[in-house]
Amino acid sequence: MSSAPTTAPTGAPEPLPPRTSAPPSRKAPIGRGIALPGKSLPFVLALVPAAIVVAIVATLVSATGFHNFGWGFFLPGSASNPNGVLIVIVGSFLTAVPALFLSMVLGLGIAIASTTYLPSFASKLLDPFVDLLAGIPSVVYGIWAYLVLAPILGTVINPWAVAHLSFLPGFAGLPTSPTSAGVGLPLAIIVLTLMALPITTLLIRDALRSIPRDLWESGLALGATRWEVMRRVGIRHGSRGIFSAVFLGFGRAIGETVAVAMVIGSSARFPANVYDVTNTMAAYMFETLDAALVNATLGKLLAELALVLLVITLVVNLLGRRLVTHIYAQEVPGL
Amino acid sequence: MATAFSVRAAGLDPADDLRSGDTLRLRFRTGFDRWIGYLLPLLFLVALLPILDVVYYISSVALPTLSVTVLTSMAPFDGSDALGVTIISTFEMVAVATALSVSFGLFGGIATAEFLPEWAAGWVRMSANLLAGTPSVIVGYFGFFALVIYLHWGLAFIAGAFTLAFFMTPYIFRTADIAFSSIPRPIREAAYGSGARPYQYILRVGTPIAIPQILTGIFLAMAIGLGETAPIVLTVAPNVVVPTGLFSHSTYLTYLIWTGYTSPPGSLPLTLAYQAAFLVVVVVVVLNVVVRVIAARYRKRLEGLYQ
Repeated sequence: MSSAPTTAPTGAPEPLPPRTSAPPSRKAPIGRGIALPGKSLPFVLALVPAAIVVAIVATLVSATGFHNFGWGFFLPGSASNPNGVLIVIVGSFLTAVPALFLSMVLGLGIAIASTTYLPSFASKLLDPFVDLLAGIPSVVYGIWAYLVLAPILGTVINPWAVAHLSFLPGFAGLPTSPTSAGVGLPLAIIVLTLMALPITTLLIRDALRSIPRDLWESGLALGATRWEVMRRVGIRHGSRGIFSAVFLGFGRAIGETVAVAMVIGSSARFPANVYDVTNTMAAYMFETLDAALVNATLGKLLAELALVLLVITLVVNLLGRRLVTHIYAQEVPGL
Repeated sequence: MATAFSVRAAGLDPADDLRSGDTLRLRFRTGFDRWIGYLLPLLFLVALLPILDVVYYISSVALPTLSVTVLTSMAPFDGSDALGVTIISTFEMVAVATALSVSFGLFGGIATAEFLPEWAAGWVRMSANLLAGTPSVIVGYFGFFALVIYLHWGLAFIAGAFTLAFFMTPYIFRTADIAFSSIPRPIREAAYGSGARPYQYILRVGTPIAIPQILTGIFLAMAIGLGETAPIVLTVAPNVVVPTGLFSHSTYLTYLIWTGYTSPPGSLPLTLAYQAAFLVVVVVVVLNVVVRVIAARYRKRLEGLYQ
């Protein structure tokens, strides 16, 4: 609706002069000129995290010395790499995937309990404790798992499983930990489950909490129980958040370093059974870097392995972050 | 959640259907719903029992051995049960790393919230999220290759502080971003409408409103830095005295845990590991609780701003 001055009735107040600049928006602050030194400064400042990511990639690429190990990088045989890094890659997935599965099951249960079944005062009381789990340092989980859980696993649970579950593939045979009883795959999986749990729980909880109220109530009004509404409507409505929990929980589990290094047994071999010791990418990298100070070839190999882990975590995080719009900053460390 | 209970108050609970149409299937469905409602909350126990046991076990072992003498004794910790050196070294490391990460992340976060167009802000936020999701061992490798090797800093205090700062930066960046993004629009418009320059708005209007949330970000980053092991172990050589300069070796609380946990029971390294773990857990939990309390108060204050 443009008001032409010619059609204005006589005696009407003088129309305002036309706007000379674009209307002020949040992103283009009002004010004549920019008070900050140069328009590009905000861009430069904001690019610091991106610059760190780029610097990490560039440093690792250059630390490989552009030395191409070829397929020998993954396979055993070469002198600098007697076992092949395939073992630790397999070990990473053998620990991270079951841990992710367990923490997704637990996280779904806890999130459904918190959003659907618990009275709101109870979930308000309990949810922060689950979030607090993410803040406990991994090395504290590690020392606790090594000194408390490992003896229980080694003397009670593993022997019981050998005695009663040996009909399952991989469950037969005794645990073959060389250092101390109980360390190995199961302990690493338990620790990783605990460490991925707060992230998966939080993401699933937020996804389920965002179910529209009318959707929920119409489901109930049609005669469905709370469980049925949650299973058929809620899970589907929150599927993006649940998938993001899969990706981000996996990223956390596969990148976890110190706690795994303390409980995995750190033996570069394929596990012979489910109780056996092995190693993961992150833990192997963590334990072996000292040697890179004197062994340049090993340093290059480790840098290449670091690139593999970095690519996996970047891809997983990218996928997980694309699925959720909510920004998490302060509730849960590590997310 | 509130939805389920308002539904119950409205008389829509499935238990009402059970009373009217009493079929076997309905009985099963509602019974399942009721029992799963009793069973699922038990999963909270599965999640929370380990953490309670961690805190209980660490404190029950560490507390009897801790004393003021242990905490303040500056004797080298390789010969005696003394934590003074480690505590001061850790404090210095966290302080330097926090200062570095605040200078890396704070201004970028404010700039992202205030000045960047939406498309650029999306990319920058994604990069901060990716950095936050990068495993600590990768950041440690970055510090090792870039600072220790390429810049010839050696396994020095300052290399560890920078590596830790890289790890903490995204958290400070994101809280600054969120804090300034969540300032109510009318306040921003009032400030600019009364002629404030952008820097005046940020310093005199935005910062007083956003400072609690920025503080939570800094506390959280400190808790994360204090609990990290890999970046420190990979970039700093251990030392038994307080670092004398930026390029001297240093020790760290989590480093004591990592080196001591396999020692035989009753030995000095294991005792130190327990005591260090106790201190780390206490400080981290306190920082996390403070973060939550400030965040809750801040939310109330923001709601008040809208009224």
